[in-house]
Amino acid sequence: MKFIRIQKGFDLHAAGRPSLELQRLEAPETVAFIPKHIRFIKPRLAVKEKDSVKVGSLLFSDKHRPDLKFRSPGAGIVETVHFGPRRILEAIVIRLDSEEEDEIFSSISEAALDTMDTKDLVARIQEGGLWALIRELPFKNIPFYHGKPPGIIVTMGTKEPFEPEPSVYLRGREDLFQFGIRALKRLTANVVVVLPSGNDAPDFLHKMATHKVSGKYPCGDAGVLLYWTKIDLNQKRTWYIHGQDVLLLARLLRDGRYPIERTVVLAGPDVKHPCHIETRMGAPLSHLAQFGTINGDHRFVVGGLFTGYPEPGNGYLSFHETAVAVLPNDKKAERFALFKPGYHKPTYSRAFISRLNPSPMTVDGRYHGEERACIGCGYCANVCPVDILPQFAFKTIIIGEMEEALKHGILDCVECGLCSHVCPSKIDLAQILKTARADLYKEMVHR
Amino acid sequence: MSTQKPLFNSLRKAFDQNGSLKRLAPLYEVLESIIVTRPRFTATAPVVRDSLDVKRYMMLVIVALLPHYGFGVYNVGCQALLASGHSPNFLRAVFIGLQAVVPIVLVVFAVGFTWEVVFAVIRRHPISEGVLVTCTLLPLTLPPTIPLWQAALGISFGIVIGKEIFGGTGRNFLNPALTGRTFLYFAYPAQISGDAVWTLLIGGKTAAVDAFSGATPLAIAGSMEKMRDVHVVLSDAGYTLTKLFFGLYPGSIGGTATFLCVIGAGFLILLGIANYRIIIGCILGLMTTAGILNMIAGPDSMPYLSLNPLYHLVMGGSMFAFAYMATDPVSSCHMQGARWVFGFFIGGLTVLIRVFNPAFPEGVGLAVLFMNIFAPLLDEIEIKMRLKRRVSNV
Repeated sequence: MKFIRIQKGFDLHAAGRPSLELQRLEAPETVAFIPKHIRFIKPRLAVKEKDSVKVGSLLFSDKHRPDLKFRSPGAGIVETVHFGPRRILEAIVIRLDSEEEDEIFSSISEAALDTMDTKDLVARIQEGGLWALIRELPFKNIPFYHGKPPGIIVTMGTKEPFEPEPSVYLRGREDLFQFGIRALKRLTANVVVVLPSGNDAPDFLHKMATHKVSGKYPCGDAGVLLYWTKIDLNQKRTWYIHGQDVLLLARLLRDGRYPIERTVVLAGPDVKHPCHIETRMGAPLSHLAQFGTINGDHRFVVGGLFTGYPEPGNGYLSFHETAVAVLPNDKKAERFALFKPGYHKPTYSRAFISRLNPSPMTVDGRYHGEERACIGCGYCANVCPVDILPQFAFKTIIIGEMEEALKHGILDCVECGLCSHVCPSKIDLAQILKTARADLYKEMVHR
Repeated sequence: MSTQKPLFNSLRKAFDQNGSLKRLAPLYEVLESIIVTRPRFTATAPVVRDSLDVKRYMMLVIVALLPHYGFGVYNVGCQALLASGHSPNFLRAVFIGLQAVVPIVLVVFAVGFTWEVVFAVIRRHPISEGVLVTCTLLPLTLPPTIPLWQAALGISFGIVIGKEIFGGTGRNFLNPALTGRTFLYFAYPAQISGDAVWTLLIGGKTAAVDAFSGATPLAIAGSMEKMRDVHVVLSDAGYTLTKLFFGLYPGSIGGTATFLCVIGAGFLILLGIANYRIIIGCILGLMTTAGILNMIAGPDSMPYLSLNPLYHLVMGGSMFAFAYMATDPVSSCHMQGARWVFGFFIGGLTVLIRVFNPAFPEGVGLAVLFMNIFAPLLDEIEIKMRLKRRVSNV
């Protein structure tokens, strides 16, 4: 076991942290698959409205990679297929039957797993529609299989303020997790399980972890770990998968059915009892929120405060995300905010008296200021976990000097969003870097 | 409070896209944003943003500068009373000081803000808070006797040439306040240098009373004859280390109070606005250079060479410039290591200009501007060194 300390990062003391309690929800009326939040894919629909589907029926595959399949998170009737601007496939909504039927996949016994051909294993995961759970660094795309990857990093959390704790989603699923890790070990010998210190983890996970990282958010991230442990260029295409997704993978391979269970965190200042929720893939946000929110008007954030995206209240959980934050949607203008000491203002800087306030603070989805030119305060470089200088890197991107931007290491960017978060000029640094990386992906990987 | 909302709503209509005053929208926005902060929601990750914005960042600098105004007002009045042969009385001193300082501040703010609005409207960028800091800084560096038209010209040059022609706050490479101050120094040396300009005279007097010496410590140390001990000459003129530290002597309006600069620097460092590396670097550079000059000073050399480094630190406006001008985040270095070097050279150059260039009694302004020009180069060197350490990912 290796111990690694990540120096930089930032812990946001947000109010509404989830408790370790696990609540179970009954099945919702509808579930949905949201393709638009899976990056770098071009869906080709396999269903149309009014079709009936089973759990695990093919919904769509990728136009350029036909073996990249995505399957239905529920059994019932395809109610609507939403298209966005320029006919981007936004959502496939399925109205659930009262009795759900499963698509049957072939299952593998533990003994068979150790002897089976790797290519066969890959084909099974792809056929089962879960290949997209694995992502490849540095672009975080769904990997192409050209033989063994240099390594697979299994992340057990990044210390986001709101994310499921391993002790909750692994409760009673030790065997399943072990099976999943064994399956991953068939793909590459170098499987790294990274556990951030301070996370609540069961004992067996402490034994399995190969790396323990300490530090602030995003210290458990795969990209951060790779940046600090990388010794040569070959490792740059390391794969990673989230701990909870290993369970899904194992369920598909061992039990031969398409897994739909998800342990989701429902947290934030507007949630009555922030906790973990046992629900299913593609559950509607309103279904989760009925569980108890305060105030009338909310902003839902799917997938963590720093990496997630805002979603309207009638949205759904997407394929990869396991956290839902409910933030206040206070449209009232604040008076004389400039002259207040700000005892309740969450901040990275020291410009508010809230630095002396130890209690967690209410966060919301506002910019808290207008956009200005970069003033060179350097806060972004102070928090960047992979030592990028965002204040210089973003300028190289804006003027189109991609060679220079690559020298600045934008491929190491883990898209943690901290640079945008701390910027007093409210520049969307993370978004600028992310867009540039996506453009580079199209140039360098996608053929 | 309840009247604000309808007022703002009706005003906003006039300034929005189809309103009759839409070109003046930046002006309206800045005035409104001082009173109310309208919410603007994030659409992209990260959804949650920090509470700090540039407005507050800049406002805290102004807060740190306010004590200097209080001190400056009193000092101007106090020196005026002394020079005119009266005994200093607190209320009278404040009254006289206000009479001298308030017009300068009003003119500087009016002219500076007008330029910012003009550029914001024509170039369609928002009005930046930086202009307020510039306008707050400039009067503190001026002598109380400065003609108002010169103050207006100085701020115009600082805002337009020092900042706006490069695109506004964030894109300037010189400190705008110092640019304006230096412009005045070179354009109108008669009104901004010499012994007479630093003291206001009242009651129709044209010359200070005999007992009062208007000479600044920098002028005394720079122009003394050889073979005398510089410390003795300074203390003969009444400039002891304590007096220099507390700043109650003729000088620019608020720049002489070293003790307030130390407090202000501490305040800004504590709040994370000013970078301690620059300030400490400046002080180190000044001490080291003055210390080296002490060592090479012989009995025949200029007495200025043997001046105790501490005097250099407390004399004139050096600490004021270190605390508020050198730490301007935009025009200083942006890399942590480069900031040390940047500061060190400012301190060193300050002493060298003071001692070896009799034409410029105060060198700190020029030193800061000079290093502003080198800041991008220092940054570039550190960035190159740092990028070499990265494991390539391409």
